Amino acid sequence: MSLNVAQRRLLQEYRALTNNPPEGITAGPISEDDLLHWECLIQGPEGTPFEGGVFPAELKFPNDYPHMPPTMKFLGDIFHPNVYPSGLVCISILHPPGDDPNHYETASERWSPIQSVEKILLSVMSMLAEPNDESPANVEAAKMWREKRSEYEARVKASVRASLGL
Amino acid sequence: MDSEDDFMSNLSSEDDMMQEDDSDNDMSNPEDFDFDDEPDLDTGNKDSQQAKKHNYLDIPFKVFRPEDIQKQQDGLVDEVNMILDISKEEAAILLRHFRWNRERLIEDYMDKPRQVLDAAGLAQTAADKPRLQVIPGFMCDICCEDGDGLESFAIKCGHRYCVDCYRQYLSQKIREEGEAARIQCPADGCNLIIDARSLDILVTPELTERYHELLMRTYVEDKETLKWCPSPDCANAVECGVKKKDLTKVVPTVSCLCGHRFCFGCIYTDHQPAPCELVKKWLKKCADDSETANWISANTKECPKCNSTIEKNGGCNHMTCRKCKYEFCWMCMGLWSEHGTSWYNCNRFEEKSGAEARDAQARSRVSLERYLHYYNRYHNHEQSARLDKDLYVKTEKKMVELQKQSGMSWIEVQYLQSASQALQTCRQTLMWTYAFAFYLARNNLTEIFESNQKDLEMAVENLSEMFEKPVQDLAQPGLKVDIMDKTSYCNKRRVILLEDTAENLQKGKWTFNIDLVSGAPIVNPTSTPATTSGSRR
Repeated sequence: MSLNVAQRRLLQEYRALTNNPPEGITAGPISEDDLLHWECLIQGPEGTPFEGGVFPAELKFPNDYPHMPPTMKFLGDIFHPNVYPSGLVCISILHPPGDDPNHYETASERWSPIQSVEKILLSVMSMLAEPNDESPANVEAAKMWREKRSEYEARVKASVRASLGL
Repeated sequence: MDSEDDFMSNLSSEDDMMQEDDSDNDMSNPEDFDFDDEPDLDTGNKDSQQAKKHNYLDIPFKVFRPEDIQKQQDGLVDEVNMILDISKEEAAILLRHFRWNRERLIEDYMDKPRQVLDAAGLAQTAADKPRLQVIPGFMCDICCEDGDGLESFAIKCGHRYCVDCYRQYLSQKIREEGEAARIQCPADGCNLIIDARSLDILVTPELTERYHELLMRTYVEDKETLKWCPSPDCANAVECGVKKKDLTKVVPTVSCLCGHRFCFGCIYTDHQPAPCELVKKWLKKCADDSETANWISANTKECPKCNSTIEKNGGCNHMTCRKCKYEFCWMCMGLWSEHGTSWYNCNRFEEKSGAEARDAQARSRVSLERYLHYYNRYHNHEQSARLDKDLYVKTEKKMVELQKQSGMSWIEVQYLQSASQALQTCRQTLMWTYAFAFYLARNNLTEIFESNQKDLEMAVENLSEMFEKPVQDLAQPGLKVDIMDKTSYCNKRRVILLEDTAENLQKGKWTFNIDLVSGAPIVNPTSTPATTSGSRR
């Protein structure tokens, strides 16, 4: 089977991620037959209410990857200003290249073929630690994060514990 | 041109501008205003002092066609290329890097050529020309292609990608993001600029046109003294020396060769006499909901229990909220049951909180009325100006008809054209006088302004009425003279009004009830007129 650009590139990235995995992240294709569909696990960053949790997510790559970014969706319940209630992640690195028509993000913050799965996952990890409440995906979470921080943290901690079955 | 009296001289020079579509304009010669040095307001004054004592209206400007822009740009590049002994491509990149400030570039380059080159993305490590290379064992970091004979490219930073990926990147930048002069290396965090020579190799033929167009645009966009004419399909640029900081003192209205008149400061359509900042505020005020809120606070009250907004449109003061069924007195907003069984008998009327609420309501009512007064008039003229534009089309038909009916020549019926033109410009000015007046704090000067405004308005209405007459009436020679008189009177009144406002603006004599610079409203507007220097005149 000959591989197209997206598959070749993803295989390359998969190899790099397994040989040299960044801390707190594991990722790879669900099956060797479909390289465009990945699953990953992200550890909650230390010193945040997400600490101790492990969050599964799926990555779906388009056929014209790496020119277009993948989409990322958390599979579990996660209460965060930049994650839609459906689990879909909304951060600038996952947005298609070019200037944002809404002028929130400059072209340099967005997806470019030079980015990689590893960079996405690292960005998501830092997003867990530092939400961006300026263009929230989950308005309720953003409001709570902004106005009642302790309540927000308690709610996140409770859901982390629940997800671990405690 | 007819005989010019004092007032007409301004106007006719503008008319000249608009009519001279073919020749390059001769407004003033370039040496007359030196854009890079002093603000040109001084030059403007000097010029006018020779002709006339005060001329606060005319702002010197010059219109450039696309080929003029290209010529000017090429001239600068050639000059730098000669003086600094660097290639034309590099000269162009350096000039773009220095935002086309030739003096600064030459000075800096003489001082520390290396740093200047580095900063402009022209780091000189290898002297060889950019070219596509086939490197054995190379794998592209973007697409992971590694076939034999794969062509790759890198600029001086050495971040190498295959040609396909590089081209994809560039087409993204040029087509979608509209960049041309400052495209950086695709590598993350590398801000070396891809030079023009490399781009020439890489940019595919279908992109070259757009690329060169964008390059030319950066010239105009970079120069503070140049701006594109905002009129659709017009490719000209206008040069004017008015700086941003002068905008509180002057309304730099320019007119392009295409006939479009606009403000050089904010690119908005001609908004004399109102200064840019005021225009911005006024448009925002008209667009947003601040006056809706004002209406609500002037005309409604809230249910004391559930806070539903209620407008009382009749009936007695015994209110029952439709939502929560709470019964209260409209006057004192107290519980109705406390009024006893007697019908309306509210003696809490004079209570302090009630009085305060009424005061607040009265205030917002007054402020709303004031706004609506000015807005209605502004809107009226806006509307009429729009209708006058249709009139313009009709005028042409009228002119043809008139020619047929009266046997007048084309030139003889031109007076209709100029009358219609005058109507439109005057309406435009009138429209903005109302926005101007809204922000004006009252003093003696405003009375002069208002009387000027009234005169212009009357003149315009007179002309407008005459203009509506049927064609057979227009053919009467008496009416023709009358219309011509009225037209020139309108233009005169307009210039008088604008001269007056422009002069006082320049001298800082107007008092506005908002701050033109920072935009914060002045806390106590009633106290300001007394301190105006102009009130003694």
